[in-house]
Amino acid sequence: MNQSQPTQHETHDDSHHGSHTGVFITVFVMLCVLTALSFWIANSHLMDNRYVGWGSMMAVSAAKALLVILFFMHLWWEKMWKYVLTVPAFIMGVLLVMLLVPDVGFRTQTYSNERRINAPVAEVVSAEAQAVEASSEPSSESSKH
Amino acid sequence: MTSTSHTTDHSDHGEGHGAHGHIELQYQPAVPVPKGKLAVWLFLSTEIMFFTALIGTYIVLRFGAPQGSWPSPHDVRVVEWLGALNTFVLICSSVTIVFAMEAAKRDVVDKARKWLMLTFLLGCVFLGIKAYEYNSKFSHGIHPAAPRSLLYDRPDINYLAGTKASCDEQLSLLLAEELSEGDAGSGDAGESTEPSEPGSDHDHSDGHHGHDDELAERLELIRSGLIEWTQKKVGQSESRIERELALESLAHQIYPRGKNERVETHLADELKETKALLATTESDAKTAQAKVTDLQKQIDDLNEKIKKAADEEDEEARKKLESKLGSQLESLTQESTDAAAEASRLADLVLPLQNRVAAMDQFGFVEHGINEHYHMRLPMVIPSGNTWANTYFLLTGFHALHVLGGLVAFLILLPMRLGVRRAGVLENVGLYWHFVDIVWIFLFPLLYLF
Repeated sequence: MNQSQPTQHETHDDSHHGSHTGVFITVFVMLCVLTALSFWIANSHLMDNRYVGWGSMMAVSAAKALLVILFFMHLWWEKMWKYVLTVPAFIMGVLLVMLLVPDVGFRTQTYSNERRINAPVAEVVSAEAQAVEASSEPSSESSKH
Repeated sequence: MTSTSHTTDHSDHGEGHGAHGHIELQYQPAVPVPKGKLAVWLFLSTEIMFFTALIGTYIVLRFGAPQGSWPSPHDVRVVEWLGALNTFVLICSSVTIVFAMEAAKRDVVDKARKWLMLTFLLGCVFLGIKAYEYNSKFSHGIHPAAPRSLLYDRPDINYLAGTKASCDEQLSLLLAEELSEGDAGSGDAGESTEPSEPGSDHDHSDGHHGHDDELAERLELIRSGLIEWTQKKVGQSESRIERELALESLAHQIYPRGKNERVETHLADELKETKALLATTESDAKTAQAKVTDLQKQIDDLNEKIKKAADEEDEEARKKLESKLGSQLESLTQESTDAAAEASRLADLVLPLQNRVAAMDQFGFVEHGINEHYHMRLPMVIPSGNTWANTYFLLTGFHALHVLGGLVAFLILLPMRLGVRRAGVLENVGLYWHFVDIVWIFLFPLLYLF
């Protein structure tokens, strides 16, 4: 059964040829629409909270990648072996990012003032922050003592 | 898995094998796909991890940058629609390579070649746009470099020192060039034999010299009117906010990152103040100078009188007059030295003010900054600019190399007969090409839209 798989696969492809071309064109149109969508998200109010905007754009990208993998790369029509090769790589890739973002990625959100001053911060923000800091520092110090 | 099924399938014949002397051995692939395709998929799974490591690094650095400290696309010459266009180009090329494979499967050789050719061309378009984008960054000095070489994270004392050092270095380079060119020019004139050549050469070098002189003049004015002025302000100012504003203004004038109303109004106000100060200082200096000349005249008159007094016949009257004139001369001389000191003090004050006003008139409100407007390479402030450049060129560079690899594969395939027998190869190259497309699908929002 298994030894005849490759040839079966080919005949399978050939028999459904007409419908495949339709699928490819549909996928192509969807990819274009999704590209426009991520472009729209970047200029929309979703970016007001940057994590929401980034998350949405990454979701759109993941959808696009899935479309390409499933249809252009034929994984939709492949047998079970596709999971052996793609799932572990996918898990490692996602884990790599997911485990680093909470600590390394968000480290600046809990910066001490000293560290923030020495960090590459946009100067407008820093000047205002320092003005606030300068005005609040004596009171906080006096309250401590 | 399948190999075990193979043994179980044949287990009932196992005993008979030795006896019959012929074994029916059949190739049983572990995975029901052609070997080439399996190899490509294995390669792609390592590629997935490679690119997620790169992209993950970028994401972590991007997340880790405090709000506002990552360059906006405009800061680093990223044009969003070019990225979107490149995404479209790659998506199109993914479709064309699929059609090429489909045509090859149906053994329609001409069509397969046509689609593959189109894929190749689209890949070239992608790389062309990429090259254009790279050039627009390199030409603005945005490329991976050591920290504080050309890109600075914040406008601070280091930045100020960096701009001054850069000005000095460029000036000394110009000077050295001029000296060596002078030598070369004299050598050329001696060696050249054709009569028409020296003339044209001379014209060319003249134009070059003019350009150099202009550049040197500009650098001098930037150095005195902008950098040294800022240095003085930072040194004298008591308030931290004021010091930051002065530094920020310098950075904004060299390489503005968008509109900065605060800095622009500050600069306009300061220019007005400087102009008023210059006018009063200049008139003060003029009156001081006038006083000096006036006093000098009085001293001259007095000396004349003293000379005349020497002719006085009456001894007593002469002595009296001389002592009177002498004391007058002494006080006048004293007054004159004081006035001269005051005049030179005021004159010293005038020069930096004049430089400042001249520099502000020329560079103060240049629309896209001094670097862009005059094609100069002064240090720029782009927060996290170096980190951005490193990650951007690492990610897009590796991706572009993959695109290049795909193009080479297409070039090798193009002259072949793309029939059914090559459908498998075409599929494998297509798999690789789709993967390259997927990487770009992630890179586009990350690099252009985040």
